[in-house]
Amino acid sequence: MAMSNVSKAFGQVQALVDVSLNLYPGEVVGLLGDNGAGKSTLIKILSGNYHADQGTFEHQGRSVTINHPADAQALGIATVYQDLALVETRSVAHNIYLGREPRRFGWFMDRRKMEKDATVMLDSLNIRLPSQKVDVELLSGGQRQAVALSRAIAMGGSILLLDEPTAALGVEQTQQVHHLITGMRRQDKAVVVITHDLSDILDITDRIAVLRQGKLWAYVPSSETTTNQIIGWITGVAPPQIQNGAGQ
Amino acid sequence: MISAFKRQDNWTLIGLFVTLLLMIALFSWQTEFFFSTRNFINIGQAISIRGLIAIGLTVVMIAGGLDLSMAAVAAVAGMVTASLITLEVNSVLVGVFGIAAAGVLGAFNALLVVKFRINPIIATLGTLLFYRGLAFVSTGGDNIVVGVNAWSELGRGSWLGAPITVWLFLAVVVMGMCFMRFTVAGNHLYAIGGNSEACRNVGIRVDRLRGWTYVAQACLAGLAGLMLTSQSGTALPSALNGAELDIIAAVLLGGIALSGGRGGLLGTLLGLLIIGVVQNGLIHLNVQIYWQSVVRGAILIIAVTLDSLRRGGGYR
Repeated sequence: MAMSNVSKAFGQVQALVDVSLNLYPGEVVGLLGDNGAGKSTLIKILSGNYHADQGTFEHQGRSVTINHPADAQALGIATVYQDLALVETRSVAHNIYLGREPRRFGWFMDRRKMEKDATVMLDSLNIRLPSQKVDVELLSGGQRQAVALSRAIAMGGSILLLDEPTAALGVEQTQQVHHLITGMRRQDKAVVVITHDLSDILDITDRIAVLRQGKLWAYVPSSETTTNQIIGWITGVAPPQIQNGAGQ
Repeated sequence: MISAFKRQDNWTLIGLFVTLLLMIALFSWQTEFFFSTRNFINIGQAISIRGLIAIGLTVVMIAGGLDLSMAAVAAVAGMVTASLITLEVNSVLVGVFGIAAAGVLGAFNALLVVKFRINPIIATLGTLLFYRGLAFVSTGGDNIVVGVNAWSELGRGSWLGAPITVWLFLAVVVMGMCFMRFTVAGNHLYAIGGNSEACRNVGIRVDRLRGWTYVAQACLAGLAGLMLTSQSGTALPSALNGAELDIIAAVLLGGIALSGGRGGLLGTLLGLLIIGVVQNGLIHLNVQIYWQSVVRGAILIIAVTLDSLRRGGGYR
């Protein structure tokens, strides 16, 4: 997946300027930047919720357009939003399979299969919940994150966009999410993680992308940078440095 | 089973059911003729026409909407069917046109709410006045008397000892419950009421589904209008005038949240039964008719207050 020269403005505010970014299967990209740097805008463009003013997208070498969430879904792009986008009044199982419920006779929901699949899914990710039948409103923040991640994986996406997956979590639950992310890398998914948390970022990512004032400021392999350098890019002290993927 | 009782909605249903039983016990103890098959059929008949509309409203509200215009839609449908009967149109077409006319009014509601994004309370308050006005304008305020006709059996006939209106109402309740619980679309309506943005994100056609709830609601109101006309042999432009508030009260009593996503048709059925039993019981007690509204209002207030306290917060 490659995006080239993507720009987006909201009225007078230029949220993204000429951002070009390549994503590869089996790679985890950490997307960093200060508040308002354009991280969420970028994710929402990739997931089809915003329409880019300018720019082109390529998927497996073919030029594609992303105008609608359905377009993104068709390309295998799945998103976990910062606000989680869960339905509080519905069960864990329904939230995981929302919009892709197993059906019987065309019109009917196969609740039993959905609940069974949800159990298998949660087990395979080592996620412990009281029951997959319980409503999401009764879950803790970490448990909700697990449900949201499960949904993204259940979407069968090859490109997973995670918007601050550990923002509301405790230490142990953060570890679990990191474990999930490395698991997805092993399954050859392309993963983008937006985060403010620099502590483990170099361990769980393959590349680091830093946005500053809507521009791509840095894009480098994680092995070739340091936490201090990243902070320099985020704050604009360090000069821009872009190595946009292999062969470029 | 234990996990089922942890669900908040189920506690609401249990509370309603106990309340209903207490009411029945109270009136049976206090009055002579309340506890009889004949009287229970009366109660069923009294709630079934409004009940049809309440079922439609329940579905609209579960999806996070609201429709105040449904009683006016029923009145328009009644006027349309009665005019067609006087014109001696084929009786099957009378029914089809009457309900279709209601469906068109529902589609207009859907257009305002879904396409033009007008708050459903405001949009359907407007169409309530508009449709009610149409019903009066159509005859200059006169009633249309149709007398006995091919449709009379629908409102007056009975089958297996109970009125056809009651059977029809129960059939729609059961179909509605199956639809909301077992179909993908029904479950999507719950999810849309819970968080419509989340549903859009995963590609559910939120607007289309929401729009259809208004059309379905109007078609049920149209059926109710047809039943009213056939029952009384007369179409009144003022039919069900003011009933919209009673219907909303029954639905809210049944545990449907104004914010959507919660509750179900079983709750609405219990809400209707409680209001029907109270209404009927007060008549048996020879209580002055004006107390009816006071008691119904008090029940609604007590019920939603208890519910809000139990949920630990409620309206914020």
